[in-house]
Amino acid sequence: MIQTQVREQGLDIAALQDKYAEKSPMQILEFALGQFENIAISFSGAEDVVLIDMATKIRNDIKVFTIDTGRLHRETYQFLETVREKYDLEIEVLFPDTAKVEALVKEKGMFSFYQDGHKECCAIRKVDSLRRKLANVDAWITGQRKDQSPDTRASIPVIQADAAFSTQENSLVKFNPLANWSSAQVWKYIRFNKVPFNELHQKGFVSIGCEPCTMAVLPGQHEREGRWWWENSADKECGFHSMNSVKPN
Amino acid sequence: MHITMVKKVKADGNPCRKSADVISELESLGLLRSIGRVVAADERNPKSEGFELALQHSVEAAPFFIVEQEDGTEAVYTAYSRFLKDVFNHDVSETKQALEILSQNPDLDFL
Repeated sequence: MIQTQVREQGLDIAALQDKYAEKSPMQILEFALGQFENIAISFSGAEDVVLIDMATKIRNDIKVFTIDTGRLHRETYQFLETVREKYDLEIEVLFPDTAKVEALVKEKGMFSFYQDGHKECCAIRKVDSLRRKLANVDAWITGQRKDQSPDTRASIPVIQADAAFSTQENSLVKFNPLANWSSAQVWKYIRFNKVPFNELHQKGFVSIGCEPCTMAVLPGQHEREGRWWWENSADKECGFHSMNSVKPN
Repeated sequence: MHITMVKKVKADGNPCRKSADVISELESLGLLRSIGRVVAADERNPKSEGFELALQHSVEAAPFFIVEQEDGTEAVYTAYSRFLKDVFNHDVSETKQALEILSQNPDLDFL
């Protein structure tokens, strides 16, 4: 067990991004867990379990939370239990606001995402819960990786000021220790360290989310193709990405 | 105070979904008349003013708002709900705020 001393905030994020850009996930975690006392790991019930395995080698009092959207696979619930028992952890399970879910289902039914897109359901079942949690921590740790989505995650840094969930009262720091790791590196770590993993991975699932919105993919398919496969590129239509390569004179 | 709204116009000439939704809501709230200018980032013209403003302010998605005060200070709002709250003191539901967080941060999809 590595001994860490928790220090105060007031970080130069830009300088830290440069300093830790090439560091290993373990080194980034050591810094994060040493810098912040009130810090939590976001666990999705998938291969981000490696964060828990690494973090428990650094501190024995790590805080882990997960979001139970109410629509997860049976295998994911079983996996959460496996992880809880193996690492002797208290996993904080966040649930969506009952009234908001009831209102959504009452108005649009149980499968509105197939018609309206997934974002409204995700906002209620996932983001709203996440925001509630993050209002009460100083920093959080995710398993986000660049290779998970060339469209949306290609540029995520290993450490960042969290613009999405920071408030006027709470400046939040976000760590993405696995940002530069590939899926192959994650799985190499899992196998080498005998880390438990979600059974769904053995059934062809790569990216694991809610049951109605996740499917197995074929060899060679990108993991993004296993999520919200019925949606087209409409979500991207408001972005300026296609134009950003052209600089005005 | 002068407000500029930048919307995106797609190759087919129609506004993007979010821009259309926001314009519609501003209209229903009676606030559209408070927007001094609505300029387009037009996919058919990469040099259109809205696109230049997006580059100038490093904004990645439409719509967004530039609010100029009498004293010359300027604020750029990429979050519609924050814009409504700060500029018009209009509260937005938690669900809409969460939806906007997701729309502005698509990397959160996989959490």
